[in-house]
Amino acid sequence: MAVKKFNKMVNPEKIKGDTRYGDLYKPHGKVRKRREWRGVGDTLYDYSRWLGIMLTLGKFMSKPRNIKFFFRYRWMANYLAVPMMVDRFTQGLRGEYLRMTHEEQDLIIIDVAKLLNTMARADRRTGNDEEFSKINVLVDENEMTAVMMGFPNLKCTSRETPSTYVSVLLNQHAMEHYIDVAQEYGLPGDVCPMPEAEAGVSIDDDAPIFGACAVQCNTTCDGSLLGNGVISERLEKEDGIPVFQLPAPLRHKEDDVQEYAAEEIRRAIAFIEEHTGHKWDWDYYFECAKRVNFATKCRNEWLDMNKTDYPQIFGGNLALYTETNYMAICGKVPEFERADRRLMKLAEKAYKKRKMAAPEYRHRAIVWGVQSHYYMDFLVWLLNCWGIVPLTDMLSCINTEMIAETDTPENREQAYYDMAMLTEEMIMRNRTHGGYKVLLDDLFEFVEQYNADMIILWEHITCKALDGMHGMFEDRARELGVPLIWVDHQLFDPRVVSRQGVRDQVNSYMRTVMQEEPLDPTLEVLDDENSW
Amino acid sequence: MKKIALKALLYILTGGLAFFVVTFTVYFFNLDMKLTSAIEPFLLKWYDRIPRNQHL
Repeated sequence: MAVKKFNKMVNPEKIKGDTRYGDLYKPHGKVRKRREWRGVGDTLYDYSRWLGIMLTLGKFMSKPRNIKFFFRYRWMANYLAVPMMVDRFTQGLRGEYLRMTHEEQDLIIIDVAKLLNTMARADRRTGNDEEFSKINVLVDENEMTAVMMGFPNLKCTSRETPSTYVSVLLNQHAMEHYIDVAQEYGLPGDVCPMPEAEAGVSIDDDAPIFGACAVQCNTTCDGSLLGNGVISERLEKEDGIPVFQLPAPLRHKEDDVQEYAAEEIRRAIAFIEEHTGHKWDWDYYFECAKRVNFATKCRNEWLDMNKTDYPQIFGGNLALYTETNYMAICGKVPEFERADRRLMKLAEKAYKKRKMAAPEYRHRAIVWGVQSHYYMDFLVWLLNCWGIVPLTDMLSCINTEMIAETDTPENREQAYYDMAMLTEEMIMRNRTHGGYKVLLDDLFEFVEQYNADMIILWEHITCKALDGMHGMFEDRARELGVPLIWVDHQLFDPRVVSRQGVRDQVNSYMRTVMQEEPLDPTLEVLDDENSW
Repeated sequence: MKKIALKALLYILTGGLAFFVVTFTVYFFNLDMKLTSAIEPFLLKWYDRIPRNQHL
């Protein structure tokens, strides 16, 4: 394998409006001084989308039970910061890039608002709609929802998605309270803070109570198993909600585990049928399978585009949307198929015009490892501050194969294997488990395929699955002559490594090893420790 | 009739303009986020006061 040298590309189009993005930050502030000026057309477009977001939030708060829900659950306070999250992810973007980000982010916001509405309606403490509660099947936040593709009249609801996962995207400090609660009750501090925070929400009596049953999955690690144990104990013994454990094999690349994996899927479906009274619907399953395939086809095409000199859907756009569309949606929501089509149209348009998202592209990077959730807009920062284009990331490198989508007797049998494959290869676990081929070898194959000249390697400091490979990554990068930047972080807890702590690691490498100056020096050091 | 229609149109345009000026000012100067960030500390105090069945 040979790493090609990448020659700097300069954007022939001038970026309209603000270009010194760091000037918009207020020192020690929670929010920014003002919003970005993007030229008349793009500013008005961004303003119109902001109005749309305010309308979504306003509609949610117009229901009395939702207001009750808002004042009952501490993590709901983080939703005050929704518009600011969008501002972070759209920083520096213009034209098609701005529109693609809004297509994705605004749809995710609408989807999360619907999820919150469902929870408020079903929750025993607020809406207490018992009949509605009975059509909800609870799933983990980090769980492939393929087993719900055959239940058109059931709702697949993750309590952890809005309470922990989205909250920490909105407000970097959102999970500190729950991590502290979990540790006060003796849970160790050296496990992944994501499942620890989820367990903390349950311990703090801050999880809504509803649902006919729950399906938990052995997601990725010791922390995940620990968190699920704490949550299922309360669900089953206190709330009377039965829980099924879906243990997907970790050695997911081996043929000899697939039969077992398919059997577990059959058992999970039988469990859901037993506790909800609803029967599996093959017509609906294959309808969802078609949408799963369409999403896979689109993602493959976007990734192919990113292998060229003019990548279009990359960075936070790719990462956040993939996580939502692949795992949580999994073909069940038609709106996402329509969004895929619109995104494809925008990406193709920008590609034909050879558009660039920043004034300069200086490096092409593969981003690997488990990314920090309190600093997921880091990818936009890489682009704006140093001209590093994050072509793809580990969590977006998921299934690329099509699943059976026509209803035949053979395909009905194949469907269990397809659902098992999607579950085994869900985001994160498809790389953190399955042997070093999927974690180490594949990374360097991607470097070659994408003509990348740099690796950004997130090191989530309590993720034992990845940290154990630290030395092997370094050895291989050194052997192949690929610049590799380690970026330590603590996933949900910015008290351990702050956002500036993350940035400093890149800044030092770029100045000392690469001997480069930043594209936008105002972004190099930001006083955003108190920021949402 | 024409006069009434013109008057209605004028009201709609003035209303639309006023709506745009106010909301655009809120948007551009980030007043929505400045307001909600001021509310947050009071909300957190509220959540602290809620009785909870906290246990493992």
